[in-house]
Amino acid sequence: MPSLRELQRSFATAIMDADAAALGDLGIVDNGLDPAARIAIYRNNVFGNYRKTLAATFPVIKRLVGKPFFSLAVDAFVRAHPSMRCDVNRYGGELSLFLADYPTARVLDYLPDVARLEWAVDQANIAADAAPLDVAALGAVPAEMFAELRFVLHPSAQLLQSRYPIFRIWRVNQPDYVGSDVVDLGEGGDALLVFRSDDGVLVERLSAGERVMLAAIAAKRAFGSVAERASEAEPGFDLSDALRRYVQSRAIVAFRTPIVTRTENHP
Amino acid sequence: MSTNPATSLPPYAGIGLRAPHIARVRAERPALAWLEVHSENYFVDGGPAPAALAAIRRDYPISLHGVGMSLGSADALFAGHLTKLKELVHRIEPAAVSEHLCWGHIDGRHLNDLLPLPFTDEALGVVCERIEIVQSALARPILLENVSAYLRFTDDAMAEWEFVAAVAKRTGCKLLFDVNNVYVNAVNHDFDPLAYVTAIPGEAVAEIHLAGFDARGACLIDTHGARVAPAVWSLYQATIERFGPKPTLIEWDTDVPALEVLLDEAAQAQAILDTCHAVAA
Repeated sequence: MPSLRELQRSFATAIMDADAAALGDLGIVDNGLDPAARIAIYRNNVFGNYRKTLAATFPVIKRLVGKPFFSLAVDAFVRAHPSMRCDVNRYGGELSLFLADYPTARVLDYLPDVARLEWAVDQANIAADAAPLDVAALGAVPAEMFAELRFVLHPSAQLLQSRYPIFRIWRVNQPDYVGSDVVDLGEGGDALLVFRSDDGVLVERLSAGERVMLAAIAAKRAFGSVAERASEAEPGFDLSDALRRYVQSRAIVAFRTPIVTRTENHP
Repeated sequence: MSTNPATSLPPYAGIGLRAPHIARVRAERPALAWLEVHSENYFVDGGPAPAALAAIRRDYPISLHGVGMSLGSADALFAGHLTKLKELVHRIEPAAVSEHLCWGHIDGRHLNDLLPLPFTDEALGVVCERIEIVQSALARPILLENVSAYLRFTDDAMAEWEFVAAVAKRTGCKLLFDVNNVYVNAVNHDFDPLAYVTAIPGEAVAEIHLAGFDARGACLIDTHGARVAPAVWSLYQATIERFGPKPTLIEWDTDVPALEVLLDEAAQAQAILDTCHAVAA
């Protein structure tokens, strides 16, 4: 009689690899339906669950490749990147990596970046909440201290870059999209901000200045350095307007003043 | 064990609350005695899901129903999973916390399904140990749900109902008695479902589940994707006659229908509970 561990190991192998030896080790009662058919019910349930879960997280990928191909790709993904968590809702983060190497998907070479975008949207929806930035407190900061401030992005905020126009690919494949669904892959790449506002998850295209500004803030740079980098990336970039917009949309939710100790002030 | 009771769910009908109905339930607050949600759907740091649950909790008793704890795995429990459940229980103060009598992971790999256990002394020991860990972490008894199964192991040393009753006796856990799963297993494994009901200690039963199955193929499959079958309603009636009125939940997870369909199923369960309340009075 196999131990519980041996039995569960054989069960998992029989489901994942359709392994005949593992199936034999299980000792399954026949009772009118042969053991292989009984294990097949579980195999269908397990893979069916993953297909359903990943289709909910990656609806655009599914739409782009079609249901039959999506199912095959998910099955291969599940075997290559097994779930390591009790909570299936958090499964699928490695799908973009997997698609980059999945032979048939390589024809659509923007797929991995679209998968990254869909995963970012999924993650933004469950990231921690944050109170809006205290505008009055920001107004009270003396002008000479502004260059030292470090702004803080919303916990859901993520920055993405792609060589492909993934924003438009993603947008025209949304259920509520109306209009032409033609995407010119030659139109160039995208820099995107994904974050959760009061109205749900937003995906916004960024100019060069906005991208550098938000990346510098994410890297915890002081605002003086943020300003320098942004205007270098985009001459004429209106930083204070961008700051006002991101505070208003709640992509930026806080600021920290520099820690000034007494000894530093009065050596 | 703590003084916190296993359940304060009222002995009336409730429904499993799924994403498509959350907005309407929040807005319209239908007359339901209680609601059940999947614990794991709220294992998140923030966003709309936990905010909605907190709002709904102000209007309804909530039962937290877990699908991922994997109480029967030879692997140890995932500590992080238990911590998240504990935090959720602290936030929501649920009327009941339940998990399934099954396993889902081995050697660190998860299959994210409710897989069948062999009914052996070793499995009994493992399940009881894990339940005691969970109950002590949560400082309350949990409810254990019997699952549908499409196979049985030749090494089984006891019947499913003997295993279930033994777990309840050893750990003091309560039972979430899924009448549909009993019926599905009775058909799939050829036993009398009433023998199962009779073998269960009624005082341990703290909640009942009802759902629909799929009858295509050689086995009945527990899909939670249809109305409760007539044979399951009959078995439910017999179950309530034996156990007395118990909090009863309509579960529907696949192709979730309009809220009205769930409310109608709940009303049918409530009608059966009412005849039982009337007899008791």
